[in-house]
Amino acid sequence: MAVVPQLALADAQPEADAEALVALVDWCVRFSPAVAVDGSDGLFLDIAGVDHLWGDEAQMMADLRARLAANDLMFRCAVADTAGAAWALAHFGQDGVIAPAGEQAELLRPLPPAALRLDPDAAAQIERLGIRRLGQLMDLPRAPLAKRFGVGVVTRLDQALGQGHEALSFRRPPTPWITGLTFVEPISAPEDMVRVAQDATIKLAARLEREGQGARRFELTYHRVDGKNLGVGVGLAIAGRDAARIAKLFAPKLEALDPGFGVESATLAAYEVEPIGGRQTRLDAARTIAPEDGLAPLIDRLANRLGKERVFRAVPVESHVPELAVRPARPLNPAHGRTPGWDPETPRPVRLFRRPEPLDGVIALTPDDPPNQFRWRGRTHRVRRAEGPERIAEEWWKADIEDISVGHVRDYYRVEDQDGGRFWLFRSGLYKAGHPARWWLHGLFG
Amino acid sequence: MTRYAELQARTNFSFLHGASHPWELVAGADALGHEAIGICDSNSLAGVVRAWSQMKKQREGGSKIRALTGCRLDFVDETPSLLVYPSDREAYARLTRLLTVGQLRAGKGGCELAWSDFLDHAEGQLILAIPPDRLDEAFAKQLRGLSRELPDLWLAAARRYGARDLERLSKLAALAQETGAPMVATNDVLYHGPERRPLQDVLTCIRENCTLQEAGLRLQAHAERHLKLPEEMARLFAKFPGVVERSVEIVERIDFDLSQLRYEYPDEPVPRGKTAIQHLRDLTWEGAAWRYPDGVPERVTSLLEHELTLIEKLDFPNYFLTVHDIVRWAREQDILCQGRGSAANSSVCFCLGVTSVDPTKAGKGMLFSRFISENRGEPPDIDVDFEHDRREEVMQYVYRRYGRERAAIVATIIHYRPRMAIRQVGKALGLTEDVTAALAGTVWGSYGDGVPDEHIRQTGLDSNAPEIRRATTLAQLLLGFPRHLSQHVGGYVLTQRRLDETVPIGNAAMKDRTFIEWDKDDIDALGLMKVDILALGMLTALRKSLTILGIPDIADIPPEEPGVYRMLSRADSVGVFQVESRAQMSMLPRMQPRKFYDLVIEVAIVRPGPIQGDMVHPYLRRREKRDEVTYPAPAPEHGPPNELRKILEKTLGVPLFQEQAMQIAIDAAKFTADEADGLRRSMATFRHYGNVGEYGVKFVEGMIRRGYDPEFAQRCFKQIEGFGSYGFPESHAISFALLVYASAWVKWAHPDVFCVSLLNSQPMGFYQPAQLVRDAREHNVEIRPPDILASEWDCTLEEAAALKRSESDAELRAVRLGFRQIKGLKEEEIRRLIQVRVEGARTLEDFALRGGVTHRTLELLAEADVFRSLGYDRRQALWAVKGLASEAGAEESAPLLARGRAKEAQVLLPFMSASQEVAEDYRTTSLSLRAHPVSFFRADLHRMSVTRCEELKHRRDRQRLCVGGLVLVRQRPGTAKGAVFLTLEDETGIANVVVWKDTFEANRRLVMSASFLVVHGQLQRAGEVIHLMAERFEDLTPRLGRLREDEAPIRARSKVSGQLIRSRDFH
Repeated sequence: MAVVPQLALADAQPEADAEALVALVDWCVRFSPAVAVDGSDGLFLDIAGVDHLWGDEAQMMADLRARLAANDLMFRCAVADTAGAAWALAHFGQDGVIAPAGEQAELLRPLPPAALRLDPDAAAQIERLGIRRLGQLMDLPRAPLAKRFGVGVVTRLDQALGQGHEALSFRRPPTPWITGLTFVEPISAPEDMVRVAQDATIKLAARLEREGQGARRFELTYHRVDGKNLGVGVGLAIAGRDAARIAKLFAPKLEALDPGFGVESATLAAYEVEPIGGRQTRLDAARTIAPEDGLAPLIDRLANRLGKERVFRAVPVESHVPELAVRPARPLNPAHGRTPGWDPETPRPVRLFRRPEPLDGVIALTPDDPPNQFRWRGRTHRVRRAEGPERIAEEWWKADIEDISVGHVRDYYRVEDQDGGRFWLFRSGLYKAGHPARWWLHGLFG
Repeated sequence: MTRYAELQARTNFSFLHGASHPWELVAGADALGHEAIGICDSNSLAGVVRAWSQMKKQREGGSKIRALTGCRLDFVDETPSLLVYPSDREAYARLTRLLTVGQLRAGKGGCELAWSDFLDHAEGQLILAIPPDRLDEAFAKQLRGLSRELPDLWLAAARRYGARDLERLSKLAALAQETGAPMVATNDVLYHGPERRPLQDVLTCIRENCTLQEAGLRLQAHAERHLKLPEEMARLFAKFPGVVERSVEIVERIDFDLSQLRYEYPDEPVPRGKTAIQHLRDLTWEGAAWRYPDGVPERVTSLLEHELTLIEKLDFPNYFLTVHDIVRWAREQDILCQGRGSAANSSVCFCLGVTSVDPTKAGKGMLFSRFISENRGEPPDIDVDFEHDRREEVMQYVYRRYGRERAAIVATIIHYRPRMAIRQVGKALGLTEDVTAALAGTVWGSYGDGVPDEHIRQTGLDSNAPEIRRATTLAQLLLGFPRHLSQHVGGYVLTQRRLDETVPIGNAAMKDRTFIEWDKDDIDALGLMKVDILALGMLTALRKSLTILGIPDIADIPPEEPGVYRMLSRADSVGVFQVESRAQMSMLPRMQPRKFYDLVIEVAIVRPGPIQGDMVHPYLRRREKRDEVTYPAPAPEHGPPNELRKILEKTLGVPLFQEQAMQIAIDAAKFTADEADGLRRSMATFRHYGNVGEYGVKFVEGMIRRGYDPEFAQRCFKQIEGFGSYGFPESHAISFALLVYASAWVKWAHPDVFCVSLLNSQPMGFYQPAQLVRDAREHNVEIRPPDILASEWDCTLEEAAALKRSESDAELRAVRLGFRQIKGLKEEEIRRLIQVRVEGARTLEDFALRGGVTHRTLELLAEADVFRSLGYDRRQALWAVKGLASEAGAEESAPLLARGRAKEAQVLLPFMSASQEVAEDYRTTSLSLRAHPVSFFRADLHRMSVTRCEELKHRRDRQRLCVGGLVLVRQRPGTAKGAVFLTLEDETGIANVVVWKDTFEANRRLVMSASFLVVHGQLQRAGEVIHLMAERFEDLTPRLGRLREDEAPIRARSKVSGQLIRSRDFH
């Protein structure tokens, strides 16, 4: 950084890079079913027998290059008879070169020994002997070479020249969780639409069950004869695959769909797929009720009716500032992540106002005794019991450094009035002689 | 009026918890009217001396505050944390022993204590139990248990401004009632004032390795953990009468103060029937007879008498005996050493062999009596340098001699530096890595003063953005906070009673090392005895030279040889101690040293102190007789006009040494001895405390009042401030000057011996072996490459091919480079190989098959071209050893097969070009005897009209030209106002380039990273000193890669691996 202060730095993300490479490998399946990852930054495509689909190797490469370029990827590529030769040419030769069949040796001759995928030490030592090109290496007798640099060097040389075999491990893309139904006659009746939803769900659920999986979200798409797609989706609180339940969740949403001149096919896809155990709940049903039988269907129904964001569980967040100390979470499955629980030493009201409400007529002893009485919404409350203050200071790092003040605090009091009503109120700012204190009500205890 | 003492305060020595310095807490408590403040850091006493020193300061101002020495004990078992105050010296000893037990048990920096450990050391301790955050039955049970065992137990209670404070306090009160451990109010203080809360939050984040956003409840909810007024404490505990005042009752029970750790000298072995001073006298006179074989001169006798009387009066004989014992042992082991420091330049130390400087010859008016001053009742200061590769032996001797309970290394406190501060604060604030790195990058080197706005803007960040302001403001606060303790390089503290009864001792990261919790300032403040056992590379080199030349001691080197001074005067000083740096080299021709004391001044003058004090040029002008030598005088009514002349005569009226500055304070500014001592102390610790300013006003005003020129007074004081950062007293300069003379003499008289000694002592000094070899060759020394048939591990001397003589007319021998020059070799393997050679090995096969060394070693040897005398060039040798190495392995497993070794087909390997050979030389040995890398580019450079370095001396001043070469050294001294100095080297010599700040900023990347550079600029010459003021640059670094290429470069993205040369960068 002392050298180029303006250099922008990004942390290396090897895992993300590896994932991206795997994604690229999967994407390449459109060119050949046999794709293999090479190290951390390359891939092999076995195009034997598929290049004719594009016309020839050159046209195939042109298509590949255009598509990679369209995705803003930087790349070098080469085609050769052997994986080793293609690697050498891609890394050290001219970008985009296509070695004519059987002629890769000539193209390899001017390349440095490192082009043989040797470990850097071996490559450096070979170069130190003055052997700077593969041509010189090829001309050396094999036995002394192997003796000095190990058979690895000779093997790599043979692999590049097609005199040795190389096994690549190819990758297959994962099975997508999708299923489809095609109809002989276009359908449009509402009951047919429902039945299609049931059939598709049963089909996909069976597959999920076979593989011990469940999903949190299902999306059903009806393809109309005029080419328009109608999509509906449902979500589950916990991953599931109960076909009847899922279909039931779809049912009320189907009425709103307009099948037009008819629907000719439908696809159902599952998302957020995760493994779930095949549970036997019936045997000891008397003892415990699994969530999927008890609360879960209710929550699913409420959420699908009222909107997903309106049904939640309030969980504590580690923050001193009360309004920041709570967040909505999924209504079920609290086991996910560490939830700290509410601290009994810092009692918080069941109902916390979104905005604190101003109080007037507050009588309290300075500097920080609890109030004796206060007026809220026009009614005067006399305090019978009180606890506090609990002092909470501002999150200073949100203010300018010059504006940070030890006076920016709230003193919270838990008070009970003459009727037994319990309130959570606070005075903002430390007591300062000559400055009237400002009081607020921030919440109610039960 | 409420009486109160805060008994629960953590300083920033509770690392990443406390957010105030110890002195801030003491001063803060005093200002609030506390009667005492108890410093209780977690399992540590590291901050107590600083608090105690501040207390002494407050008391000088009339305050009555006490700084109590205490400790917060956090246990590894269930025991609640305790605050412990030793009530007397013996209880204190038990506390330090307890902490030592815990620290030695844990790894570096830790402390593991269990309840049973504490019980063994609990006698005499006043104890406050700290309740946990959540009161539960477990704590109640533990407290009951504690109260049964401990007679003096209290329960600490703090108002925490939590929701249920009163309920909690009531429970504690009930518990106190039940257990009989009275409740006492504390505020569990983390900082002296509430405005430190942001910093404390940041420390929490650094500790928890999170950002403020993520920290959540790990942060404090508010800013209440500060020192409070006694009245405020009384209000907070109004419902619990007596608990606030009870703190004072505890204070009154404490009878311990750190001043009771008065120094107890270790008893040196004194022959039966003699006192220590008698023994010292005997040793001294014995030594005098050895130093002055022709009879001790009168002058020396009277000086010795004077010194011995003073030593006896101040009761220091044991100290001198201790130093003598260490030095004597080192001499017996043939380890070269040299003492320095105020007391070291005494006649006694010369006779005891502690130094080789004869003070009766070194210069007039030695300062010994002045600086073991009678009213400063603290031990004298002697540092002893030893050969750097043998110092460990000396350290282990000290441990053996005194035992681990009585000797340990002092600590060095590692403070937050600007880069680290900004990085960590930025991280806590949630700034991204690139922003904090950019901010940190604006601080060049290790000593910057914060982060100036303009630098921030340069990095493309907005210095006014709130995030940036927060980061820089808080980082500024964090500066100077202690981060952790580390061991000092060689400062030992030695005691008579067990050391662990004076200070806790912990494990160092290094095996077999232990160090105490206090640093040398603390040791100084308490007046404990310390001996610095330091390592010096030049002593190693000198030892090797003296051994070769058969000279017994540094003192036996012929003194005041004019040729040595002539050599130094032309800045011919590569390899010479201290004066080899570039700044020294440009000073030497102006100084024209002619005698020993000139070297003393030379060593001291090229220092930040005199430079910042603007003392250098006045001195030089006077020395060159361009200015008249005058001595400022006070107004006649205030004193004799020559009062400064006495102090400043030997430096021509310009104060250059710390001692002179002190004496001016006393004589001219009329400081009392105590004030002068305070000034000296504040100078030493000036960077941490910044209270040197008070003395500054007093100093300048004192001088002006007595009629001195205000400008002169200001300049004097500016220099004192400079010393604060990099003090360099005359007493040290004299010892160093002797090493300058000794090493210069060897270089002048025997450059061959000098070269061998320096090469065999690497790493040390300013220059790389390549420059040392080059310099030796320029002095007619023949250098030979490492060779399998001739080299040893070390470099050696061989008969020269042709008779050549040094300046002193000594016959020069040739230097054979040793295997140590080859990177990556292991000494013991080479020793085996040499053994095989002694037994008659003469072929490559012999060495490969019988040497018993690894393949890698053989390859390294081949690559370093050591087999040429056996008829193999580099590549052939590598090819051959690779083949043989695999056979050597096979032979062990199948000896029968090996006998019938198959004859291999001959393989033709390409020849190496000359440039490739040079590149390989550099890669394997960092130097080449064949040619200079730049010579291969001379044609290119010629086309670019580049001037050869050697031709610079024939060029006119102010001429515009350009030079090109390898970058040897980059320096950016703190005193140079942002300028960077480069040293370039080509095949003809070196060129010194100055890059002014603006030019540097505009070419930063290039200047910082290039290894092969062409610099365009203007020549500036002052006498023999030539600099090129850089204006623009061309980076030729990529061309160095071409050295390795064959005739036709191959098209490939294969990279040149590694740098050809690596410059030495000093930031």
